[in-house]
Amino acid sequence: MTNGWIDIKNTDMAMVIGGNPAENHPCGFKWVMEAKRNRNAKLLVIDPRFTRTAAVSDYFVQIRAGSDIALLGGMINYAIQNNRINKEYVANFTNASYIVREDFKLPEDGLYSGYDATKRAYEKVSWNYQPAGQVHPAPPEIKDGKPVPPKMPEVVDHDPMLENPRCVFQLLKKHYSRYTPEMVERITGIPKDQFLKAADMFTSVRKDGDMTKVGTIIYAVGLTQHSYGAQMIRTACVLQLLLGNIGRAGGGMNALRGHSNIQGATDMAGIFDILPGYLKVPVPADKDLKSYLERITPKPSKPKEWDSFNYWSNTPKFAVSLLKAVYGDAAKKENDFCFHHLPKVDRRYSFADIWNDMYLGKVKGLFAIGMNGVMIGPDSKKNIEALKKADWLVVGEIYPDETSEFWKAPGTTTEEMQKIQTTVYRLPCAGFAEKDGTFVNSARWLVWKNAALPTPGDAKLDQEIVARIFLKVRELYAKEGGKFPEGPLSIAWAYSNPNSPSLSEVAKEINGKALADIEDPKTKQQMKAGQQLPGFAWLRDDGTTMAGNWLYCGSWTEAGALSQRRDLADPSGLGIHQNFAWSWPMNRRVMYNRASCNLDGKPWDPSRKQVWWSEAAQKWVGNDVPDFKPDSHPKDHMGPFIMNGEGVGRLFTPLGLMAEGPFPEHYEPFESPIENPLHPKVTNNPVVKKFTTPLDKFGNTGEGYNIVCTTYRLTEHYHYWTKNNPALVQEVPEPFVEIPLELAAEKGIKGGDRVKVTTARATYEAKAMVTGRIKPMQIDGKPTYQIGIPIHWGYRGIAEDEGKTALTPANFLSPTTLDPNAHTPEFKGFLVKLEKA
Amino acid sequence: MSQATLRITKISGHAGAVPGSNMSRDAKEKQVCKMVDTTTCIGCKACEIACQEWNDLPFASTSFNNTYQTMPDTAWNFWNLIRFQEYQRPNSDGSKTFMWLMRKDQCMHCADPGCLEACPADGAIVQYSNGIVDFQTDQCIGCGYCITGCPFNIPKLNPVTHKVHKCTLCADRVSGNLEPACIKACPTGCLHFGTKEDMLFQANRRVQQLKTHYGMAEAGVYDPPGVGGTSVIYVLHDATQPELYGGLPRDPRVPWTVKLWKHPLKWIGNIAIIGGVVGTFMHYLRYGPKIVPEDNAKGGH
Amino acid sequence: MEENRVLHGGRLLRYNFRERLVHWVAGLSYIYLLLTGLAFWSPWCFWIAVILGGGSVSRVLHPWVGLVYAASVIYMLGIWSRDMEITDTDRKWTQSIGAYVRNEEEEMLPEHAERAWQQWAPVDRFNLGQKYLFWTMFWGGIVLLVTGVVLWFPERAPQSIRLISILVHPIAFLVTLAGFIIHVYMGTAIVRGGFTSIIRGEVTENWARHHHRLWVERITEDAAARK
Repeated sequence: MTNGWIDIKNTDMAMVIGGNPAENHPCGFKWVMEAKRNRNAKLLVIDPRFTRTAAVSDYFVQIRAGSDIALLGGMINYAIQNNRINKEYVANFTNASYIVREDFKLPEDGLYSGYDATKRAYEKVSWNYQPAGQVHPAPPEIKDGKPVPPKMPEVVDHDPMLENPRCVFQLLKKHYSRYTPEMVERITGIPKDQFLKAADMFTSVRKDGDMTKVGTIIYAVGLTQHSYGAQMIRTACVLQLLLGNIGRAGGGMNALRGHSNIQGATDMAGIFDILPGYLKVPVPADKDLKSYLERITPKPSKPKEWDSFNYWSNTPKFAVSLLKAVYGDAAKKENDFCFHHLPKVDRRYSFADIWNDMYLGKVKGLFAIGMNGVMIGPDSKKNIEALKKADWLVVGEIYPDETSEFWKAPGTTTEEMQKIQTTVYRLPCAGFAEKDGTFVNSARWLVWKNAALPTPGDAKLDQEIVARIFLKVRELYAKEGGKFPEGPLSIAWAYSNPNSPSLSEVAKEINGKALADIEDPKTKQQMKAGQQLPGFAWLRDDGTTMAGNWLYCGSWTEAGALSQRRDLADPSGLGIHQNFAWSWPMNRRVMYNRASCNLDGKPWDPSRKQVWWSEAAQKWVGNDVPDFKPDSHPKDHMGPFIMNGEGVGRLFTPLGLMAEGPFPEHYEPFESPIENPLHPKVTNNPVVKKFTTPLDKFGNTGEGYNIVCTTYRLTEHYHYWTKNNPALVQEVPEPFVEIPLELAAEKGIKGGDRVKVTTARATYEAKAMVTGRIKPMQIDGKPTYQIGIPIHWGYRGIAEDEGKTALTPANFLSPTTLDPNAHTPEFKGFLVKLEKA
Repeated sequence: MSQATLRITKISGHAGAVPGSNMSRDAKEKQVCKMVDTTTCIGCKACEIACQEWNDLPFASTSFNNTYQTMPDTAWNFWNLIRFQEYQRPNSDGSKTFMWLMRKDQCMHCADPGCLEACPADGAIVQYSNGIVDFQTDQCIGCGYCITGCPFNIPKLNPVTHKVHKCTLCADRVSGNLEPACIKACPTGCLHFGTKEDMLFQANRRVQQLKTHYGMAEAGVYDPPGVGGTSVIYVLHDATQPELYGGLPRDPRVPWTVKLWKHPLKWIGNIAIIGGVVGTFMHYLRYGPKIVPEDNAKGGH
Repeated sequence: MEENRVLHGGRLLRYNFRERLVHWVAGLSYIYLLLTGLAFWSPWCFWIAVILGGGSVSRVLHPWVGLVYAASVIYMLGIWSRDMEITDTDRKWTQSIGAYVRNEEEEMLPEHAERAWQQWAPVDRFNLGQKYLFWTMFWGGIVLLVTGVVLWFPERAPQSIRLISILVHPIAFLVTLAGFIIHVYMGTAIVRGGFTSIIRGEVTENWARHHHRLWVERITEDAAARK
């Protein structure tokens, strides 16, 4: 979230899209209720079904799963056409005024400039700003016979009046002018009058440019889980920037993370393409630390008169401090701080890629710790087949699960079972109440938690399992050598108990400490060697500091673990509880909060003052920590978006930052009921990633797959393990499929009848819930139905073991088509057949 | 239940005065109340589980029933239940707005409780001065009359023990100055707890807000006068149609047959019985027995 | 009649073993039902259930004993329905009720007592009062049975039926109680010889002619026919 949970109570207008917070984040959702109760705020809900969130909304709009870019693009068009924009914010805090290269072409035909159909990839050099004074783009730079990867120009041309036809704003306007209310209706199925009412409602916070009110967008994986999910989120971001809602109390782009520590997992690089703190991973072309840092450290890119903090310019400090944390004393300036010991990521190793590689026999073994890969899918049958080919599988879980019992998945014959050679190890793990450490919530708060119970029986803590396996592997490397023993042998492991490191030691290591006596040149403050660092401003690239994650630097200082603070005081009343836990970065609760003030540094809305420029103190002060260079005078025109080289928010995303293009464009889900009305010849995402094994099959309407299906969670269950909890099995005992009344009538299905849902990949069987909450739609004039499937049941659980279910996981159905930016599969919006079982 | 801390003002099936009936200095003012704002209920069922957890109730065996509602009715081991109702609200222009109504159903803790009225067992049902109506299971004889007397169909029999159970408004927690478990668990602040006066004030204020800012002209507070008002009140989007909310009775009262049995019939019957017995005694005094002459002379029966 | 009711020594068999047994089963079960029923009827009598084993025990046993009572009156119907039919002669006897209640026939001199009886409509095995009692206890018993079963299984019957039962059951109880009080009073205090007849079964022919002349004539004829 750019803002935070409690900040939502400050909003005047909340749009929930691609999310169902009342269902899946009931505790966080209270803040939407607070906004309604205390500010008469309004709630707009967009969803393929009438959900629990819709039940308490002020206006509900039913949308076809996967068509949100069309809706949000339509709202962008509406905002521009109806003067729901504040020019000062847009012109100064976004790249709206930046002039774009002459050779950049908008995708009226579905393709941006530079598409290579054979490679199914873009040459992105034209997706860039125009360097100052250079109307005609220069020829591409060649070095050592290879094209130099293009960069953003450091000085750009801009039109502060936003009238130049090549400026971002005019290109944005032209791009979304195609998203008329009629086109929105064709694509999304939302009748024109409903769309207009919703667009008017949400953009009304910026009527005639008045900045007093604020709107927030609250979303979850209803936006992410599509083959262009990252662009769906981008469209909402563009809308929020356009509406001047970012950086403001009650505004922002609020992602609801779906797991209590998934934010922590992504911060600490639980994904293949980042290092902790969102540093980019090295690639084989990075021949040394210097060229790596040069590649990944951005330069400012702005009009001459403006200023840009470009905080990622400190990347070398973050990267070197990380290397010192990982490799300790072995990392020295002379050996590039063990840079060569880091794996170089040569291709995509996403979740779906791992399973694909296992299916192809390239991945021999898998650690599945607290991760039920078979149930996650997508295309679970492929994952099951993959496991059959692996040599070994280690499952760390608290209950026996489908992954560890893949060999008896329904449909596996005894003969097949006998042929399976995979050795399965089951390690009993600790449950969440048995572990201490931090959770990082959607609001970026690091919250320390204590263990409430000891682990039962033989169950071990995660850190003990990881530590002992690591130390044993390292021991084998030391004894027997191997492919690259220097890597594992150089890792620092100086914990008091190396076999089970205490998480407070690890947390302190992540915060970072001084490795030598150092002094801050400006304040003259000194840190002694071994002291916990007070913040990332102290990090250095010369090996005198270490930090496991620069973003968390400041969370465990010499004062102690700030994540353990529990002070409820909120003097401003804006829900900025400065002394409750610790949020990154540096305890700033609302990111980009400089944008909550106008160019002169005065808050847009005096009743919600977050930060402001103090002429007397000559710095930014406020109720929140300013997310900004504290002493940058407003007249210096430094951009609020300090993590961008531009310093401003990106309406236009240059170069390869987004794989599909600088402006999000509507594409159809891979399995779509229609051709793309905007450009039928380019219906799907031109750079979508998919796989080609025999189990990666896709269906179309010609084959009879003409019902749109989506998958989701229920309040009463949590993913795939609460089917072991008798209290929750009591609440929702059996799997079901939600079917519109009209579709059920057509097929002669009554509530409670067993039904079969089939995709080109597999069949799912459950009872029918016949409901009025999903209405029939007209998609591009064709009558189209949607159905929905909660994901929680599989072939191992209380009801499953009692023979009360058909034992099929919902993700038997989903396709492995991936968003090319985030590699998220398309769990929502694929085509199915439906019939009585 | 702790009788020391909670004054009992009514006892079922009790002859004579209730020990605590005029012992409380300000019994009326301290009436507690749970306010349920259905306009903010998201049907998350935290209250269902919290109630079971606090009261250590065994989990029920349930099955799919074409609804998100956990089970068709409350049970001896499931004291509060969210009732889900899909509803197409007709608008003035002929269109319909879809609504999914969710109402937390549990004992309403009536000021004039039908269960207590109907119960024949001395002390099986009590009402405290704070308005809470509680079952004293030790005294319950398992006749189920309370089930018939309740206009909300709340008390439920345990089939093995034949005792009835229902929501206690967490009398044990309340007596310790804690809010009921359901209120503590509610994540959205849909449930509120306080004095009846405060809760009515909050509820009416919310109704005003709904009318003024959210276009709900029929919003209102459900505090049925037919049972003397209740210690559980609802804010409804449409107070003119309480039946929409999972069958909430429009004008609940203690059933007239129960009242007839307990009051007029009781009087008439007692007078008749006593009158009858006294009457036979008086008849004997006046008229004596019938004696068959020869038998008497022969002296044998 | 199935058996000979004329015994030796001027004695008649008023009630045989079966009849006495079913009467006492009905009577004793009714007493238990009355006592526990009074406990449920009024808080002032709840202590009765307590001394009879507790409220719960009383509540458990009351319906079972109710079944026993119902079975016994149904059995009685089986054996006595003919004897209990109300005839025109009975309807003529209604004119005598006032004098009967006031024991006026007893106040006369012995030599006239017989005649007084003979002035009233003759009585067969059971007089109208006894017949009224029987039907009261029978139909009252059926109503108590039906409403009782409804109240016994409160979660099986719809609320409207239960609400009616909760009122009708005590009303039927009061009606049968009236019958019970009068019956016990008359059988023990008023009609000498009555109690013995329902214990030991025998009455004198004289007693029988006095109270149930037609019955005596009938069984005497029957006995003669057997010879």
